[in-house]
Amino acid sequence: MNFQLKIGWLYPDLMSTYGDRGNIICLKRRCQWRRININVFNIDRDTREAEIAKCDLIMGGGAQDRQQSIVITDLHQKVSIYKEMFERGVPGLFVCGSPQLLGHYYMTGDGKELEGLGIFDFVTRHFGNDKPRCIGNTVGRLTGDWQFRVGNLRDTIVGFENHGGRTYLGKDVKPFAKVIKGYGNNGEDKTEGAVYKNVIACYFHGPFLPKNPHIADWLISKSLEIRYKKEIKLEPLDDTLEWKAHDFILKKLKVYKVESF
Amino acid sequence: MIIPLILIGKIIRFISKSLNLGNGGTWPGEIALTFNDRILEHFVSQVEKGVIIVAGTNGKTTTSLMIRKFLEKSGKDVKVVHNQSGANIENGLVSAFISQSSAKGRIYAKWAVLEVDENVLPVVLPKINRCLDAKKKIIVVLLNLFRDQLDRYGEVDLIARKWQNVLAHQSKKENTTLILNADDPLVAYIGGKTKARSIYFGLDKPEVYLKTYEHATDSIYCPSCGQKLDYEGVYFSHLGKWSCKNCGLHRPAVKSDVLTFPLAGIYNLYNSQAAYWAAIEAGVGTDILKSVAVSDFMPAFGRQEEIEYKGKKIKIFLAKNPAGFNAALRTVIDLRLHNILLVLNDRIPDGRDVSWIWDVDFEMIPGKVQITVSGDRAYDVGLRIKYTSEKVQTANIKCQIEENLERAINSSTARTAKSDVLYVFATYSAMLEVRKILTGRKIL
Repeated sequence: MNFQLKIGWLYPDLMSTYGDRGNIICLKRRCQWRRININVFNIDRDTREAEIAKCDLIMGGGAQDRQQSIVITDLHQKVSIYKEMFERGVPGLFVCGSPQLLGHYYMTGDGKELEGLGIFDFVTRHFGNDKPRCIGNTVGRLTGDWQFRVGNLRDTIVGFENHGGRTYLGKDVKPFAKVIKGYGNNGEDKTEGAVYKNVIACYFHGPFLPKNPHIADWLISKSLEIRYKKEIKLEPLDDTLEWKAHDFILKKLKVYKVESF
Repeated sequence: MIIPLILIGKIIRFISKSLNLGNGGTWPGEIALTFNDRILEHFVSQVEKGVIIVAGTNGKTTTSLMIRKFLEKSGKDVKVVHNQSGANIENGLVSAFISQSSAKGRIYAKWAVLEVDENVLPVVLPKINRCLDAKKKIIVVLLNLFRDQLDRYGEVDLIARKWQNVLAHQSKKENTTLILNADDPLVAYIGGKTKARSIYFGLDKPEVYLKTYEHATDSIYCPSCGQKLDYEGVYFSHLGKWSCKNCGLHRPAVKSDVLTFPLAGIYNLYNSQAAYWAAIEAGVGTDILKSVAVSDFMPAFGRQEEIEYKGKKIKIFLAKNPAGFNAALRTVIDLRLHNILLVLNDRIPDGRDVSWIWDVDFEMIPGKVQITVSGDRAYDVGLRIKYTSEKVQTANIKCQIEENLERAINSSTARTAKSDVLYVFATYSAMLEVRKILTGRKIL
């Protein structure tokens, strides 16, 4: 059977600050290499809700402050459709600045409060442009009840973070990972990102998926599962190079104990 | 207090040069600044005619070198202070002055040509402004603003705003001229925000508009009202003939094309136009400008510099952000590229974040080109190249990954035919390492 997938890419020319399209390229190629028909669909301000609802996966990237406020205005008009999709189990990945849109509010660098979509139980505050940003290579360990523990894969995630906002999680949301190296959500409580149903929010920015193929494949298989309403086993790919690049970051940051399970 | 600082600086520079450690770098300036934070003003105030500042993400080194050549050709004894090594934050500027000053700290130069880092411009410009008397000129060349080293500087918009602020305060000075890239909306917008005189340069070449947009666009939204800009055509990245339907802001009219220029690449058309108008402002005659442009211009180091190594021709391109990388890639593909070596480092001068390689359109490299990758982050580039292909790849992808730079250079040189050219694209620190291996010594 030839599977199909439609990826909804949120506002590519407003929210693709710094290599974020690496995630789209990664998903697209990993589907093509498995002969899954993949359609990358750009969601812009003039996209109709009926079109959005047909997407099997929603992807969001980073935006500069000015672009972010344009985006949030538009998202508020369509929030019910996204809520319905995420409740239904449609997966999503929000990296870099985009998680800030999903919480209760986002306080910008100049003290403006943007109301968030309220999908995640967290708040984000930016303490001003003269406060240091959280910047650097980072490693996290996926949290204990992590549902994508499939196969003999790493439980680490690697990447780069660069954010001015600090996010504080509420009771109703679980972190995506525990910070091993880096700042994570706020530089205080060692949490990194958040997971709600099948939606992942994380501060790792730019091309997060290429060096974390286990997360890329989890997103693909979950999307297929929701679309075709059955579990679908993905054809394995040769990921030697992906893991070399992943392990290179672990080594660079002196994270030696890599547990597999 | 000045004299001992200068002597110390000169000694450091001498030692560093004799030990083959480079041209003395930024240490003399760094030390001098520690003891005297007004030392830049001390030097700048002595320059006879004025200061020319060149800022922008891409093209600073090439443009400032051109301006210097123009000035030197304009008269017999025109001495120019120039931070030619590309060290472009304050300690680098001071180092350049120290190396060209007398032991007593005197500067005998008509002009200073300073390439200045984007983020340092707002700090350095007011200093220069304060210490130059009103008869002397300040010419500020603003080339472009692309995404670059986001981990150091934050966002493109933020830098643009800082530039606007500092140049708005420059408004009272009648001796200031801005040379602005009209094709870059963020840069052109600054002209309307300052009372200083503005000269706009840009291209009028619809025949070379790109057929499709690149992804690496940074500011396609109106800097005034925030609506999406309309483009009649794009030359590269977000440079082109733009206008805003909402508020009516549009690309200003430009002075027409004036020069032919020996370096390949559309970005060098911008650099040469900027240099041309800066030189005109500095009082250089057009006949001199034309004679320099076609005869004796040598590229700045690492900018399309050609080096012979083991009997093969090697051309080095500094490639440090998506806009510059795409433009340079397009240039070498037009020159019938067969062999390319990509070297990616992630040290401070390169930017520690290498995410930007996913915004480079490596997909445009033709299938039969031999690709070798190296540098601190060789696996990251290797992975990027792997993901250009729609066909499933085995562990051995269409590029060779070689962590050791010397081995990477040797094997890619060996693969290059005698009649062919090996193109090397490298980030800043990688470019210096490549040069060192090829020439056996450091900068210059």
